[in-house]
Amino acid sequence: MDLGSLLNALILGVSIASIWLIAALGLTIIYGTAGVINMAHGEFIMLGAYSSYMLQFYLGLPYLLCLPASFVIVALVGLALERGLIRYLYNRPLDTLLATYGVSLVLMQGVRLIFGSDPKYLAVPEMFQSNVMLGSASISAFRIVVLGITAFLVFALWLLFYKTRFGVQVRAVMQNKEMAASFGINSGRIYMMTFALGAGLAGVAGALFGVLAIVLPTMGASYVVQAFLMVVVGGGSLAGSVVASGVTGEMQSVFAFFTNDTFARFIIFVLIVVFLRFRPQGLFAQAGARR
Amino acid sequence: MGNLYHNKTAQWLTYAVFFAGFAVIPMTVDDSFLLNQLATYGVYGMLALSISLCWGFGGILNLGQGIAFGLGAYGMAMTMQMQTQDESNPIPPFMLNNSLDHLPMLWQPFQNTYVGMILAVAAPTLFCAVFGGIMFRARVSGPFFAIMTLAMLSAFYTIIIDRQPYTGGVNGLTPPSSLQFAGYEVDPYSPTAYWVVFGFLLGATVIAKLITQSSFGLVTQAIRDDSERVRFLGYSVAGYETVIYTVSGLIAAIAGCCWVMLVQYVSPAQLDVGFSLSMVIWAAIGGRYSLLGSILGAFIIQGAQSYLGDTFLATWLLILGGFFIIVVRFLPNGLASLVESGLGLFAAKRGPASAEPNGDAKPIPAE
Amino acid sequence: MPGLLEIHNLSKSFDATKVINDFSMEVTEGTLCCLVGPNGAGKTTTMDLITGRIKPTSGKIVFANEDITAKHEHIIARAGIGRKFQVPAVLRDMTVRQNLEVAYSRQTNPFWNLFKFRVTGLKQKLDEIATLAGLTDRLNDRAGILSHGETQWLEIGMVLMQEPRLLLMDEPIAGMTEGEIEKTARIFKDLRKTATLVVVEHDMGFVREIADEVVVMHMGSLLAQGTIQQIEANPRVRDVYLGEQEAA
Repeated sequence: MDLGSLLNALILGVSIASIWLIAALGLTIIYGTAGVINMAHGEFIMLGAYSSYMLQFYLGLPYLLCLPASFVIVALVGLALERGLIRYLYNRPLDTLLATYGVSLVLMQGVRLIFGSDPKYLAVPEMFQSNVMLGSASISAFRIVVLGITAFLVFALWLLFYKTRFGVQVRAVMQNKEMAASFGINSGRIYMMTFALGAGLAGVAGALFGVLAIVLPTMGASYVVQAFLMVVVGGGSLAGSVVASGVTGEMQSVFAFFTNDTFARFIIFVLIVVFLRFRPQGLFAQAGARR
Repeated sequence: MGNLYHNKTAQWLTYAVFFAGFAVIPMTVDDSFLLNQLATYGVYGMLALSISLCWGFGGILNLGQGIAFGLGAYGMAMTMQMQTQDESNPIPPFMLNNSLDHLPMLWQPFQNTYVGMILAVAAPTLFCAVFGGIMFRARVSGPFFAIMTLAMLSAFYTIIIDRQPYTGGVNGLTPPSSLQFAGYEVDPYSPTAYWVVFGFLLGATVIAKLITQSSFGLVTQAIRDDSERVRFLGYSVAGYETVIYTVSGLIAAIAGCCWVMLVQYVSPAQLDVGFSLSMVIWAAIGGRYSLLGSILGAFIIQGAQSYLGDTFLATWLLILGGFFIIVVRFLPNGLASLVESGLGLFAAKRGPASAEPNGDAKPIPAE
Repeated sequence: MPGLLEIHNLSKSFDATKVINDFSMEVTEGTLCCLVGPNGAGKTTTMDLITGRIKPTSGKIVFANEDITAKHEHIIARAGIGRKFQVPAVLRDMTVRQNLEVAYSRQTNPFWNLFKFRVTGLKQKLDEIATLAGLTDRLNDRAGILSHGETQWLEIGMVLMQEPRLLLMDEPIAGMTEGEIEKTARIFKDLRKTATLVVVEHDMGFVREIADEVVVMHMGSLLAQGTIQQIEANPRVRDVYLGEQEAA
């Protein structure tokens, strides 16, 4: 066996893991905090990609500025959705799943009506287009950008949730909503803000995926199941999603090295089902997480 | 109970009228394409029924019903494909194109029509029994089970695309001629095909209805209400959940067989996440607590899609999505609950002596 | 003679906290045993351990000479243990009648129940229990709309429908009126002819009236066991429990 190419596979695995993780980040926040299963998450990603496309195409915004801008735009969409629909469904988890699927249909078709079904492309700065050598592995510079941004976001979220007052409030609401309310924490506001935050993160992911792949109204669908599995395997916590994405990303890459991409994906789906059979609460179950 | 909606005799009568209406269709319609289309609605009705049974009555949201439907459909397509192969030419053309020079083991049982058809129904049913058994024993439930079915569905979807020499890959299977059964050729555009689907839909509905009215049905409704409590009454919750999930899968597998008989075609699209979710939408809009409501939900949505879809092609998904959101938000028990509250109002007007308190937002899902 | 229910050296830890610590007790067939103790003494946890809701860290539970330690909930229920929960757990979306019907769990096999449409003996039993629980007029109402007292009665009715050999009642009279408490005491005393009862209760007046035997728990361990007179005379019990009650 060729050790060098296996090493390449491992390096590529880190990149795959970062892609899976950034797709799952927003979902982790939303599910972990409010217990909402947001089926429109893939479409939030898609909206992020289209936001970047619009800003770039119509306003000529540089790509790196599109990232925070997409965050803001999709976060606002998420905010509107939470206020208009989700907040009425917090005590009906299966219904949020269904309602958000309805939202995903509307968003997908709405974008198709406005932008058409033909693919759009995002332009990136010259320096991201080259390839970089990592040991013997050649990897596109943009994938390293994705990795960097993912790492930055994870760190920022960790700071937000564990080092700020907002984070303390979020965790208080997660543990016990009634108790938190008696300390004057407005759980409705916390849910609203985490939902917007989660949506914004999907927006950033979309701005990145728009470069890795083409921008299409249907692009979200391919990410949503995967993102869900990362969240469920991780148990809904930030650390859980990081580990779950890391392990599955590597497995995907290594299995694909021995077989092919599609078959590797099949094996991972089956392994995840087997894993959850024995640990239905996921890797790091949070105390008080809603089931 | 004062409400006619919960009257068992009235329910059976409604079912009888509904199916009688469908029985006269072939006698009045001589457009064979329309007949074929109506028969495919019957297949969708079966799928909505299976979702209603599992989700409405068992409380198990299954987002992967496409597995049972798709596997059943593939089994049937394999059987029909092998009917057109013979001794001199035993290997389907797509395999030859994928440079497969012998018939794979997986395909050999399908050389016999009867074995093939039995397998087409038995394999997905067995899968449901095993998968459901494992999951429910581990007490995976609610949204988690839904996600698991989604994962399993995606797994099947990818493996079917990946194993092109055995499954036809993305192109799927297109058996060149219609089903031969016991010496007859079942023309998909004939009334015979319609009757076959009608018969299965009727049978499945009657069986499902009987299940919900049996002691089994009572226990599953109790499990849907509070599975934890039911355990302390001595019932094995996992056992009941596995049985209802498997019966639901069996109905979907039969629907898959009927579907291929009608359209002579199967592809991974039948295992697409979107299609399985549409089944849930049918049941949700029609009313998941009502078997008949769910079937009608499938007819309404698919009918609207065929007829409005041509005019509003671009906005159809927009309309469907919006409608679905409104139903989930404001009418969680679907259109059937409108009928229920309508009859409830009627009963309340007629007899003030009725002991039932009205204006209770959550109806008793007695059906 | 061995007891119907025997608990030997039962322990249960959650993380590092020992909730039940080397607890043993025995319940004689045909008697009514009251399990008392201050809040957090481990009474409900003991019920959870007996009925299989949680698994013990160590120790053994024997019911009718059969080891039921760490068995599944439904297996223990089938062996003949019925339980009423502290927070009344009824099937809120179903009618009172359906609640009682489900609780009449003679046949638990899912396959047999697929073909069962009429359950023999159900109607008679249901009428009897509904009358006893005073729910005859409410049979067609949804259980979720019952008052707290009625919900208590419904759950007691459900446990009686099961016809268990051992009934575990967790705070059965909470939320009941004076008259209803008297009625409950009467019913419980009657039940001793056919069944064995373990009742968790705070109301010492009620305990005094019904108990054949009293078991006092404190911090997960057995503090004292005996008749109500013995318990009330026990100085240790006075210190940890009765004293607290009287002070309150």
